[in-house]
Amino acid sequence: MPLDTSTYSLALLRLDGRRWNELRRLTAQISTQAAADGSSYLEMGNTKVICTVTGPAEGKRTGGAGTGGGNEAEVRVEIGIAGFSGVDRKRRGRNDKRISEMQTTISNTFASSLFTHLYPHSTININIHILSQDGSLLAACLNASTLALIDAGIPMRNYICACTAGSTSSHSANDEAADPLLDLNNLEEQELPFLTVATVGESDEVAVLVLETRVQMGRLEGMLAVGVDGCKQVREILDGVVRRRGKRILESAAV
Amino acid sequence: MPREVEPSQNEKQFFTKALSENIRIDGRGFDEFRELSLEFGDEHGVADVRLGKTRVLTHITAEVTSPFPDRPFDGLFTITTELSPMTSPSFEVNRPTETELLLSRMLEKTIRRSSALDTESLCLIAGQKVWSIRADVHVLSSDGNLTDAACISIIAALQHFRKPDTSTSGEGVTVYTLAEREPVPLSLLHHPLCVTFSFYPPPAEGNGEGEGEITLLDTTHLEESLRAGSVTISMNRHGEVCQIAKLGGVAVDAVTLLHCTSVALVKVKEISAFVAKRLEQESRRKDVDGKMKTLLSSENARIPG
Repeated sequence: MPLDTSTYSLALLRLDGRRWNELRRLTAQISTQAAADGSSYLEMGNTKVICTVTGPAEGKRTGGAGTGGGNEAEVRVEIGIAGFSGVDRKRRGRNDKRISEMQTTISNTFASSLFTHLYPHSTININIHILSQDGSLLAACLNASTLALIDAGIPMRNYICACTAGSTSSHSANDEAADPLLDLNNLEEQELPFLTVATVGESDEVAVLVLETRVQMGRLEGMLAVGVDGCKQVREILDGVVRRRGKRILESAAV
Repeated sequence: MPREVEPSQNEKQFFTKALSENIRIDGRGFDEFRELSLEFGDEHGVADVRLGKTRVLTHITAEVTSPFPDRPFDGLFTITTELSPMTSPSFEVNRPTETELLLSRMLEKTIRRSSALDTESLCLIAGQKVWSIRADVHVLSSDGNLTDAACISIIAALQHFRKPDTSTSGEGVTVYTLAEREPVPLSLLHHPLCVTFSFYPPPAEGNGEGEGEITLLDTTHLEESLRAGSVTISMNRHGEVCQIAKLGGVAVDAVTLLHCTSVALVKVKEISAFVAKRLEQESRRKDVDGKMKTLLSSENARIPG
C-alpha cells in the first residue's frame, strides 16, 4: 500500500502537506516539572515527550557493581511509554528489546557528550515519558533529554540534536529520482526507509545513526545530508527555547 | 555479577602508542579481518565460525507449529542468542547483559527485519500449519567482534540448512523423513552480513594533518574495550544497506560514515564469496562421485509436469 509514494510524485507534497525538506512543528518548554532537577516537554508534530532529569546524585546501588563506581558519572535512562500513546493499546513487557536499545543509545550518547568526569561516583537519571507517538520517537527523546539536561545545569560539550530522514524510494527500486524526506511521521515511517540521525551542535559530527529498514546504498548519502541539515534546524529551535527561558529568568530576577 | 576486568594502564598505553604509529597489536592492517574459518556439522544447518579466537556456533532447527492468528500466512523465524559463562565470566545464565541484548537486537534487525528468510514460503496450510525455524546462536569463545561472527554463522547455517520435504492434500500435511525424500533448502531472499567499525580518537600529537579518528575493523576483545565508539553496518552483496546502528559513543563525521558503508560493501562481498565457496566445497564433499546429482535428476524426472 504505497499511498505516500504514489501521491508524492504528483504534487511533491507529503501526506500532511509538507514539502520534502520541512520539519513538523517543533515546540518545547523547559522546567515543566517542579520536583525534578531538570525537565522538559517537547512536541515534534504529534509526538509528545516529557523528560525529567535527577542528579547528578549518589548512585542507589552501592558496592561499585555498575559503571557508576568509577571516576565518571553514570547516565541511566528509563523510558516509559504511556498506554494511550499509540493507536492501539499494547501492553509492553518490562524488557522490550526495542525500548532497552533506545535506552542504551540515549545513555551512551550523553555519556560521551556530558562532562561526566566532573561527577565521579554519581548517577545522572534521565526519565522519559512518551505521551503520544507519531514517528521520530528516538529523535524526540534525544532532543527532550538535551533540553532537560541543560535545565538541570549539567555541563555538556554541545547540544545533541536529532531528527529523522527518509527516502521516497523503495528498497528494491534503484530509482535515481527518489527524493530524500525530512522528519517522517508514523505513516511515512511504516512505508518508507528512514534513518534517525543525531549530531553534535552545528557540526557534521554524527553521534547517533540508526537505520532499520532496507535501502539502496546510493540513497544513503542524500538521506544523511538531509538529516544532518535537519539537525541544524532543530538546534536553532532548541537554542531558541533555551535562550527564551534564560531571558525570562533574568527578567524575573531584575524586578 | 563479576565485573569484566578492565585493561591495565600499561596495556592501554601500549595500544594507543602503537595505534599512533599506525600499528595494531596483532600486526593486522586497520581494515583487515582476522582469519575466518567456517566449518559445517554433519547435520544440516550447523555452522561453526571462527574469527581469530572468537568462535560462534549456530544450529538451525525446524518444526511444524500453528502460526500467529494475526499473520496466518507467515511461518515463524526466531533467533536466540546465548552467551554462557563459558564465554566470559561476566555473563550469567538467565540474566541478559547489555552485550547480549544489543547482539540479539542487531541480529534481529539484520536478518529478520530485512526479511532475509522468506517467511511466507514456510506456510503449509494457511492459518493452521507453518514451519517454525529457530536459529540457536551459541557463542563458544569471545574475543571481540561477536556481531559479525554471529551474523556470518547464521547466514551460513541458513544456507546450509535443509528442511524436510512436505506435501499437502486437503487438510493433511505429510512430512517426509530424510530417507523418503531429499530435504529442501530454505528460500533466502538475500544474504545480509554485518561489519562493525570501531572508532578511536586520533593520536594527541597528530601528524599535523588534522585527520579524523582512527577506524579499525574486526576488533579483538582488548581493542573493543578501549574503543570510543562503534558503528555496525549490515549490507548484502547487492549494495543494499539493511541496518546501521551507531548507538551513541564518540561523534564521527558524516562523510566518514558514508566511507564506512563503501568499505563495508567490499568486506561483505569478500565474506559472501567465502561463505559461498565453503558451501560449495561442503556440498561437493557430501556428494561423493556426483551420485547425488543422478539420484536427484531421476527423481525429478518421475514427477509429471
